[in-house]
Amino acid sequence: MKFIPTGSQTVGPFFSIGLDTLCQQPAMSPSPDAVLVQGTIFDGENAPIPDAVFEFWSDNEFVRAATNEDGNFFAVLKQPVNSLYFDVLIFMRGLMRPVLTRVYLGDERTFKEETSLQRVPPERRNTLCARAGETKNHFSWDVHMQGDRETVFFEF
Amino acid sequence: MTHSAEDRRVLLASQPPYLHPPYVSSKKRAPARPLVALPSALASFKGPVFGQDSLQPGDCDLTKQHSGEPLGERIIVIGKVTDDDGHPVRGALIEIWQANAAGRYKHKNDSHAAPLDPNFSGCGRVITDNEGRYSFVSIKPGAYPWRNHENAWRPAHIHFSLFGAGILSRLVTQMYFPNDPLLPFDPIYNSIPDESARQRLVSQFDWATTQPEHALGYRFDVILRGNRSTPMENTRP
Repeated sequence: MKFIPTGSQTVGPFFSIGLDTLCQQPAMSPSPDAVLVQGTIFDGENAPIPDAVFEFWSDNEFVRAATNEDGNFFAVLKQPVNSLYFDVLIFMRGLMRPVLTRVYLGDERTFKEETSLQRVPPERRNTLCARAGETKNHFSWDVHMQGDRETVFFEF
Repeated sequence: MTHSAEDRRVLLASQPPYLHPPYVSSKKRAPARPLVALPSALASFKGPVFGQDSLQPGDCDLTKQHSGEPLGERIIVIGKVTDDDGHPVRGALIEIWQANAAGRYKHKNDSHAAPLDPNFSGCGRVITDNEGRYSFVSIKPGAYPWRNHENAWRPAHIHFSLFGAGILSRLVTQMYFPNDPLLPFDPIYNSIPDESARQRLVSQFDWATTQPEHALGYRFDVILRGNRSTPMENTRP
């Protein structure tokens, strides 16, 4: 590192003006090779966050999805080819820089060999696992910024 | 690739913490527990690539997106995007959004009693060229009030979202304007601990870019973290 990177600043409350173009349009019925991950993001008082934007990064895809007025997000994702997870950046008003987390599709027992999960305290690993829903290829994953169920965030 | 302790200290001081109490909404949204270290696999995701064909005509000129000209002081913003080794970042998508000249965003949740401008949407997109350079035309945004604290006003700013070589290079920031009297009072600008890092968020007036009878020029260069750089340690709550 020869030069110091530019400082990060919050996306603020009105990011949809600039970031909507790349947002995935809501689609409730993913194609057979895709999965739908949906959930709600909560602040430290368990209130849904209506102005957050998620970016799912994998080895074969980039998907951006913003929360709606109820703090819900929906993302249709292709299964990653070379990993079991998506890296997820979450931006919002109130965060001066994004948080980085990961989401695994399925039960944590499936992923117990994963090196990134091994660094996570066992009692918090379930915060990174999306639960399979009743419908095939549907998963639900809630994110908690703080509190007893605070999602694991990684150094970024 | 491996950073010295000094590199890490400088990097940390150049970036805002998650919890910055003067910015009130960080209190309920900043992670409270220490961040967890990741193995190096993070750098393996190259991220999306955007070609010029992902832009629409007019994306780089926010004054030409409607039938008439927007009100306000026309500006040309130029700059160069490099990585932290000084190499140009080519083909970097930059997404831009901003308030109009009266300080009003075209957004349903903006309740500031300033007029919307039918000729200004405030959204732009550009991609850097082979030397990492970009430019766009817009109008100078106005300051606007917010409810963070008593008599709180945001300094004029343009939001920037940038994609570099991968996820570690991802950056969202704000470009400010020189000599803005609101900067010393702004908790968002002042969330960056290091003064020189803060000042690099302030664009510079640029004679060479200024065009007679047309627009004032401002220069705003951006440095992205390289894809091989180490994630920031941050064990502060």
